Amino acid sequence: MEKLPEMNNFFKNIIIGLFSVRSNLTRVILTASGLTIGIFTVSIVSAAVSSIDKEFARSMDYYGNDKVYVGTWPWSFDFDWWKYRNRPKIEESSLEYITQYSEYVTDVSIKKNSWTKATYGNKASWLQLNGVYPSYQDMLSGTKIVNGRFFSQNEWNLQRRVIIVGASVRDGFFQGKNPIGKKIRLNNVTFEIIGELKKQGIGMVPGGSLDNLVIMPSTTFERILTRWGFDELVLQTRPEDIPLAKEEVGMIMRVARKIPPGIDDNFAVNSADAYMEDFNFLKNSIAGMGFLVTGISLVVSAIGIMNVMFVSVRERTREIGLRKAMGATNFNILTQFLSEAVAIAIIGGSVGIVLIRLTVFGLASFPIPNFNGATLPISFDLILVFYTFAICVIIGILAGLIPARAAANLNPIDALRDE
Amino acid sequence: MAKSKKEIISIQSVSKIYNLGETVVKALDNVSLSIYDNDYISIMGPSGSGKSTLMNIIGCLDVPSKGKYKFKNELISEMDDNQLANIRNEKIGFVFQTFNLLPKLNAMQNVEVPLIYSSLGRKERLKRAEEALYIVGLQDRMNHKPNELSGGQRQRVAIARALVNKPSIILADEPTGNLDSKSGNEILKFFSKLHKDGNTIIMVTHEESVAKLSKRRIDIFDGKIARDE
Repeated sequence: MEKLPEMNNFFKNIIIGLFSVRSNLTRVILTASGLTIGIFTVSIVSAAVSSIDKEFARSMDYYGNDKVYVGTWPWSFDFDWWKYRNRPKIEESSLEYITQYSEYVTDVSIKKNSWTKATYGNKASWLQLNGVYPSYQDMLSGTKIVNGRFFSQNEWNLQRRVIIVGASVRDGFFQGKNPIGKKIRLNNVTFEIIGELKKQGIGMVPGGSLDNLVIMPSTTFERILTRWGFDELVLQTRPEDIPLAKEEVGMIMRVARKIPPGIDDNFAVNSADAYMEDFNFLKNSIAGMGFLVTGISLVVSAIGIMNVMFVSVRERTREIGLRKAMGATNFNILTQFLSEAVAIAIIGGSVGIVLIRLTVFGLASFPIPNFNGATLPISFDLILVFYTFAICVIIGILAGLIPARAAANLNPIDALRDE
Repeated sequence: MAKSKKEIISIQSVSKIYNLGETVVKALDNVSLSIYDNDYISIMGPSGSGKSTLMNIIGCLDVPSKGKYKFKNELISEMDDNQLANIRNEKIGFVFQTFNLLPKLNAMQNVEVPLIYSSLGRKERLKRAEEALYIVGLQDRMNHKPNELSGGQRQRVAIARALVNKPSIILADEPTGNLDSKSGNEILKFFSKLHKDGNTIIMVTHEESVAKLSKRRIDIFDGKIARDE
């Protein structure tokens, strides 16, 4: 009689294995829960990491990969604040030096930063304010104007009270209706809304939401809102010139400030890519810790599955003997127990997938307080499901191999005689 | 024993030697035996006589240490594990003293087990399993699990399982040992019927009354055939 292709037998045995799993459900669920926890952790960590990546790309978009920022503080997770707190404020006059001497900077703007209370009717909110030059229109990067217009040179000259607002103003003050032409009060002064910025959502940048923003002419800003805040210089260059531009701007700033050789800079030249390096370090730390914890839990759950499989082989020695007497080959028995181990692992992994899905869903339906309805930036990728099943199959095979081999190599006579 | 009958099994000078550290046990000592088509043989002997070893060798669960074992002209004594499994699957039906049914499967699924290891599709498997259960008269008990069946019914399921692959021989190891005399007699009557229908049956027993029903009796003593008639 003709012998079957081995593959056909393999699938038959997977089915037999799945049926055997069903008969010991409690034990299987307990064993699989270890893997559930492992898969849950690995998914949360990957979801967090990929979300950080996505958010970071958005934040990068906001700052632009073609801009250099000069400020008092460096953009890094550096807490030596005492080194920076006595630094002089950034002078707008430095821009003249940069415009005059820089080869790499093509356009400049001041960016005055402050926060103020904004009111419309009986509604009030705190908004971030930027006072800038008309040239800043071309330096908005991803924060494009989607409605209305930017202010003109003339409006800047005349210190007009015109503002471009972020998306949260529309949502917070006007119930999603068009805000153009409306007047709101900032620091008790009335401003007219002439433009609206593209919605950004929550960002992992200093200041939190990018939508809580109001842009106005720096001249107006100076006249009306000078109480507190800080200034930055925004310098347009080309992405590939960033390193050279930073170096050059640093030198020009030293000249502008007349810093003698040997004395440290009392300003910081920043760009988004440097920020990214720090950010990557943070991301990698999260990923490293997460995967370490996950790795340990996966090893522990693999040992758990192995243990249960040994018990299962021991309990079913007679069955193994009988199956062999009925014509099961060693390979049949091996795949039977291997597929059982894989089935346990897949059950554990599936529960993990369901848990992670529920968690992501839960996080998405609970907005973070005071963030204009934004939720925690965690996403669920289908690729996670694929990876989970791949991990489960590998763990199932690794954990099941030794017990399954022990079962396959049993002598049918001894196995049948087993009490 | 008619010479005209077709020889199925030919055992030539077979010995089985167990090396238990310091002592060497000769479970079978230079045994020669021929089994023919439609034989109904009972093998008798006290425990430790070697009848189980002979049974295991005939059933291709074990290979001899010395000698040749031919099953329908195939040389079993030289086969590897996979070939032996294949022979057991296609040529031999086992019936055990303790039935050895899988408790979580119903009668139908139990009968189906040997077919899973052969090259049949699902439809054909179910058809054959149903036929086998019909032969043993359990067609109305197909969905019952072993614990829902009486001892005699369980053994009939086991016999159906042994028959389902249309084997060349049926090997029964004390098939009535765990049954009351009424169920035991039913099973024995059934074996006689199977024999009449042309099956070859080899039965290990230590009960004279059981052995009397068979057509040929082999007594084993100290690893040797003491009587064959």
